[in-house]
Amino acid sequence: MNTIVSEEPQALSTYPSAPRRRPSAWMVAWDVLRRRPTGILGLVILLFFIGMATVGPLFYPAELPTDPLHTFAAPSAAHPLGTDFEGTDVLALIVTGSRYVLLSAFLAGFFTALFGTVSGLISGYYLGVPDSIITKLADFVLTIPSFPLLVVLSTVWKFGSPLSMGLVLGIIGWGALARAIRSQVLTLRERTFVEAARGLGFSSVHIIVKEIFPNITSYVAMKFLLAVTGAIYAAVALFFLGVLPFAANNWGVMLQFAFTQAGAMYTTQSLLYLLAPLASILLVTLGVVLFLDALDEMLNPRLRKG
Amino acid sequence: MAAELSAQPATDIACSIRNLTVAYRVERRDYPAVKDVDLDIPSGEVTAVIGESGSGKTTLAMAMLNAVQPPGRIVAGSVVYATTGDVLQMSGKRLRRLRGNAVSMVFQTSQNSLNPLKRIGSQVMDLARSHGHNPRATLCEAKDLCGRMSLDADRVLTSYQHELSGGMRQRVGIMLALVLQPDVVLLDEPTTALDVLSQSEVLQILRDLQRERRFTALLITHDMGVVAELADRVAVMYAGRIVERGRTPDVLTHPQHPYTRALIQSIPRLTGDLSQAVPLPGLPPSLTTIPVKGCVFRERCAFRMPVCDTEQPPLESVGPDHDAACYLHGLLDDRAD
Amino acid sequence: MRGFLVRLARRLLGAVVMIWAVATFTFFLIRLIPGNPVQAEMDTLMQQGLTSEQAAARVAGMYNFYPHDPLPIQYLHYLGQLAHFDLGQSISYSGVPVAHIIASAAPYTLGLVITGIILTFIFGVIGGVFAAIYRNSWVGSSVTVLGSVLHGIPQFMVALLLAYLLATTHPIFPFGAPYDAAISPGLTWTFLSNLGLHAVLPIAAFIISGFGFWALAMKSSVVTTLGDDFILASELRGIKPSIRFRYIARNAFLPLFTYLAIAIGYTFGGAIFIEQIFDYPGLGLLQLNSINVHDYPLMQAAFLMITVAVILSNLIAEMLYTVIDPRIRTAR
Repeated sequence: MNTIVSEEPQALSTYPSAPRRRPSAWMVAWDVLRRRPTGILGLVILLFFIGMATVGPLFYPAELPTDPLHTFAAPSAAHPLGTDFEGTDVLALIVTGSRYVLLSAFLAGFFTALFGTVSGLISGYYLGVPDSIITKLADFVLTIPSFPLLVVLSTVWKFGSPLSMGLVLGIIGWGALARAIRSQVLTLRERTFVEAARGLGFSSVHIIVKEIFPNITSYVAMKFLLAVTGAIYAAVALFFLGVLPFAANNWGVMLQFAFTQAGAMYTTQSLLYLLAPLASILLVTLGVVLFLDALDEMLNPRLRKG
Repeated sequence: MAAELSAQPATDIACSIRNLTVAYRVERRDYPAVKDVDLDIPSGEVTAVIGESGSGKTTLAMAMLNAVQPPGRIVAGSVVYATTGDVLQMSGKRLRRLRGNAVSMVFQTSQNSLNPLKRIGSQVMDLARSHGHNPRATLCEAKDLCGRMSLDADRVLTSYQHELSGGMRQRVGIMLALVLQPDVVLLDEPTTALDVLSQSEVLQILRDLQRERRFTALLITHDMGVVAELADRVAVMYAGRIVERGRTPDVLTHPQHPYTRALIQSIPRLTGDLSQAVPLPGLPPSLTTIPVKGCVFRERCAFRMPVCDTEQPPLESVGPDHDAACYLHGLLDDRAD
Repeated sequence: MRGFLVRLARRLLGAVVMIWAVATFTFFLIRLIPGNPVQAEMDTLMQQGLTSEQAAARVAGMYNFYPHDPLPIQYLHYLGQLAHFDLGQSISYSGVPVAHIIASAAPYTLGLVITGIILTFIFGVIGGVFAAIYRNSWVGSSVTVLGSVLHGIPQFMVALLLAYLLATTHPIFPFGAPYDAAISPGLTWTFLSNLGLHAVLPIAAFIISGFGFWALAMKSSVVTTLGDDFILASELRGIKPSIRFRYIARNAFLPLFTYLAIAIGYTFGGAIFIEQIFDYPGLGLLQLNSINVHDYPLMQAAFLMITVAVILSNLIAEMLYTVIDPRIRTAR
């Protein structure tokens, strides 16, 4: 037996280091936000507009004052964004118009997420007949171009209120999400923890709600935010087309007036009036996208560089 | 202490590697994946390079085509081919002309080395045209090779890669590497991705083809069995360094480096007592944990001595045409049981 | 060839089913319009002095069903007429077959959309290739950023801004019609160039808003392809640069076809806005105007036609894809 060996082979640098403690969700979030300051910017923008929509209109009277002597005025202290064709303050219009847009978009996102997730879960888990029906329906809805469909629907039902707008946009938009959820469910249902749950005798509903759904919540959350941005465009676009009657002001209505009031399109002084709602939409969307990027990294460990 | 290397028999050397060091940049520091490699590859023979994963073997192969991918880069050394020169000094058209033509490679995952949108035959012709060979003549040669590898040439050459099985695709990879009749063929784990039956088939084909055509082969593997079957010579790599090299029968029956010995000892035999197979304790170092000072193998070495902590032992002769890098100076048999 | 025909037949069948489904959908939709326009039309006609049979016949001509027939009969009558390409008669253009009106409007929409899709695709793809090749330098990054920003701006906003900046406030481009009323239509250079000039802004709107999507998609596809094993293998086999370029290009191109279907649907839908803003008498504008004058047969037909255009374009794109991708071509 050899006597030269003086010590047992040691576990030094050749061995991989011990795993670190798993960080909590808040630490992860903070970490990501630190590395991606744009995420904070996005969040700030979102909060700003949400604030505008909730408390903003309280600062203004129900009927905004007109000022026929100062139509399309240049920006000034009294009117930071100028005035419109009636002399109404553009900033006031934006603020009062934000509530409808954000509310209906939020509701639309909610309904899209709701319909899409439920149908995706059902079709992905149960397969068979429910799956065929749901998939065919989703394909049908997806094939038809959305805006012509919405325009046609507007003849049947004037879905001007935020709730009805949200519902209709949810009905039009659930298809893509349903498909995506379905494929996620298809992979999840083969995983062992689902098999285990089935083996333990849990009901299908229980499995779907308690086992599968929690695994897709982050995905749904992100799709919800995306749906909100899409809904903002859709709602504004529909009012721009003039197919829906409006009770209160909103950004789409502003654009419609800008386009149809003969003066607006032909004078450079109305630029701010035209740009203000456009810029607002873009800013909100930017906020969502920036925040979504950071959110994606927070929720998706593979994107994080450890 | 000047190490003396064995005198090599006077065969032609197809490729001569000297002082090769390849480093990878990880978080702003350079780590050597291949360090101070000296290797002569005799012409017409099969030289194997064996090592565990992470030992640097694939990096070595890529370096031999001057194709080390970022974040890796060649830090020092030369790879001189007898017919064409130092590939590490080549670039542009000269380098391109060498690749696939004078020196070719069979990839570990040859199944993914084919263009999914083109038929095999068309890709053969692309290869021919890229190197100034007659496409038709090359296609004939390809048919011939396919036949040798028991592939239905007409069918295979008109197929797309998704219509062929994994084993067939691997053979196509070999065919593409041989069809222009290169001087040197680099085979990076050519059978690892195959099932056991295909493995032995492909190995046999390689052995027959090599005996027939006498091309120089560098065979990279982690499997001692493959070495025993195919290789005339073998070099053992650990943590980016060559720790032993020599003629296969010598190295396999009288290994002079503890790592080589451990590799051989860990192979279970089909018959006999299973406890005779002794696994090597520990794990090979990852790129960033390779010891910088001293022998790279000492952490797992059963024969470790204080001198091992000082410096990486140089390669020195431990027999005729047999070198090892160990402070035991070829006295391993005496130390071992 | 046989495989192709089989696939074509299957998809055609699918398309027909889809069209039938949409037609059924609009059939029932008409009934849901508040105020029962069919009955209202009957009443108006009878007030004008027609007998109830004559009024019913007139209405049947418009809507393709007899108002007092039982529902299934109405449905079958409607479908039957549809199969004969009879889309009813317009209410606002009294008595004119809807099919004629559609036929004169369709070329405008098709022209805009198809040119728009093709040009957007070309610009986007070129941009995407640049963004991919130069992705580590400012050239590539700026294309990527530009694409992302433009991708976020909705189509109608781009159109509105273009019209505002380049047509109304600064009349660089003509506005408000597909061509100058003074020029008579025909295959003359004067007419065609004028048509083209008027089409510049609408198509530019499509291109600017659609560029981002294709550029980002192409960039991602090229980057992925560049990372593919066989590309590295081709480099290690010493393949000529010109051949390698083709390898990369074709392989990066292919996945983009799957996006074509989405882009087609999106562009046809967006045509409504472009047509409204630039007063282009296509199917979208037809749909909008017909709603305003309660010309429901016309509206229904315009909607149906837009959807049919989308379905057929998707069909063509899909078949094109199966021909181009050998992996699908050789599968049974």
